[in-house]
Amino acid sequence: MTDTVLFLLVDGLTNGLVYALLALSLVLVFTVTRVVNIAQGEYVMLGALTLADLLQGRMPGTLYLLIGGLALCAILDVGRWRRDWRQASLYTGGLIVAGIIALALTRGALALHLPVIGMMVVALILVAPLGALIYRFTVHPIPNATTIVFVIISVGVSMSVQGLGLLIWGANPYPVDPIAAGGVMMGPVFIRYQSFAILVTALLAMGGLYVFSEFTLVGKALQASAMNRLGAQFCGIPVNATGALAFLLAAAFSAVSGMLLAPLITANYEMGFMVGLKGFVGGAMGGLIDYPLSLVGVMIVGGLESTSAYVASAYRDVLVFSLLIPILLWRNTRSRVEAR
Amino acid sequence: MTKLLEVANLTVGYGEAIAIDDISFSVARGEFITFIGPNGAGKTTLLNSLMGVLQQASGTVTFAGEDLKTLKPEARVARGIVIVPERRELFPGLNVEDHLRLGAFLRRHEGRAKMTAALDRIYTLLPKLKERRKQLAGTLSGGEQQMVAVGRALMAEPQLLMLDEPSTGLAPRITEEIFEAIDRLKAAGMTGILVEQNANLALSVAERGFVLEVGNVVAFGEAGQLRQDPRVLAAYLGAGDRYREAMTDT
Repeated sequence: MTDTVLFLLVDGLTNGLVYALLALSLVLVFTVTRVVNIAQGEYVMLGALTLADLLQGRMPGTLYLLIGGLALCAILDVGRWRRDWRQASLYTGGLIVAGIIALALTRGALALHLPVIGMMVVALILVAPLGALIYRFTVHPIPNATTIVFVIISVGVSMSVQGLGLLIWGANPYPVDPIAAGGVMMGPVFIRYQSFAILVTALLAMGGLYVFSEFTLVGKALQASAMNRLGAQFCGIPVNATGALAFLLAAAFSAVSGMLLAPLITANYEMGFMVGLKGFVGGAMGGLIDYPLSLVGVMIVGGLESTSAYVASAYRDVLVFSLLIPILLWRNTRSRVEAR
Repeated sequence: MTKLLEVANLTVGYGEAIAIDDISFSVARGEFITFIGPNGAGKTTLLNSLMGVLQQASGTVTFAGEDLKTLKPEARVARGIVIVPERRELFPGLNVEDHLRLGAFLRRHEGRAKMTAALDRIYTLLPKLKERRKQLAGTLSGGEQQMVAVGRALMAEPQLLMLDEPSTGLAPRITEEIFEAIDRLKAAGMTGILVEQNANLALSVAERGFVLEVGNVVAFGEAGQLRQDPRVLAAYLGAGDRYREAMTDT
């Protein structure tokens, strides 16, 4: 009995940490830009499939997405050439250089047959900028839209990215190598090394975000844009840049989560949506604004998922999403108390 | 004197409604002007438009020879146009020193020594901020929050400082403290636009004043002259003010 409980606990913790990176992304994006990003899970899929391609020696399709996105960015900026050709040429030049660097990096990595961790870094560099690009295409043009408009847009983004994923990778699942194969017996439970990797990476990501936002001026500017957009503008903080930065960091966290998760479940084009929604259930616990409470939320989600998979595996997802009802009721009573 | 800011036939509206109707004025370097007028006259709208938060419907705004029309707020801050907003627009979860550092966000590459020197200058001007350095802005009193807003704006090293109702909601003693700081800035050569409901206070600081009513300038002139203007006396310096004070006291 204790063996089972311990096993479920470890499994739940591992799941929880994967969702924690998602919840972290969702809270970061929501606080800075007021976007409830349903599409956040798609970066999980992009991260996992990019890593799968790199590990199996193929040119990852993400590279084409990235280059296409950069090109579209340059086209959208075309109006600036007339007003200020210097700035515009610098900007377009920067986009071209970024595309070339991405191409060179990918080719180099494939030629060198980097180990899994190296490939993860390359995949991260390819996926994270997509977050900033999607911000540029969807949020940047309409900064004052209502939350509901952004929700609908993000559903659209989610569907489009999933469609592109299907187009590029097809419907087949791809196996992904773990950072380290095998595991270790700790007492009665067998723990995979990948679980340790997930733990370490999640802690590093959270710690990194904390240090960045508390100890650097740019991090403070990110917080400032989250707390008061107008006030941030009056300080001369470019709020579109902080929004893009939030999207980029969130995409990076989610992509990492996908790369860590993929070896446990194999990667496919529709894996992201589910993971994203589960991160969302956890994030809802903190109202998408509270990091610590969101962490509690994702741990509950992870725990419930592994227990229900054991007790009634067919109802696993049903049970996890049902959790949203008590969470929303609880938040509702809490906000009423605060309003009083 | 060279003109720092020139506003010609500026019109600003919210959709169909016109809030600022064809206003022209200019500010010379080293000069402080004021806009006085009742609530809803368009004073805040005027400053928000100069800041680039609101689009101008027509007219031109020229700052140091450059047309500002297409510039976003952050670009205007970079050129030295800085506002102390009416609602202060602070960051409740950040402390006082963070606010001041963020005020100098665009000058962050100038190095640690310059940042420290700038912080010291603010702390000398507004000593209360030094005591409260590590306190979160959300927990400060109204007066202290106003000082943070002023300090944050000054950290940007403004060419043109715009103050939107700095006395709103503050006790007289605190208001005095804030205006003493403004006086000292003026003495040091700061150019500014002050928007106030308290006409007496405003005309004691500024050299020239404009009376704004429903989006139009209805009177303007030297501060001394305006104080003698019978219309201004009746509406803003006389019985009206006392009436308003009586209302707010209860």
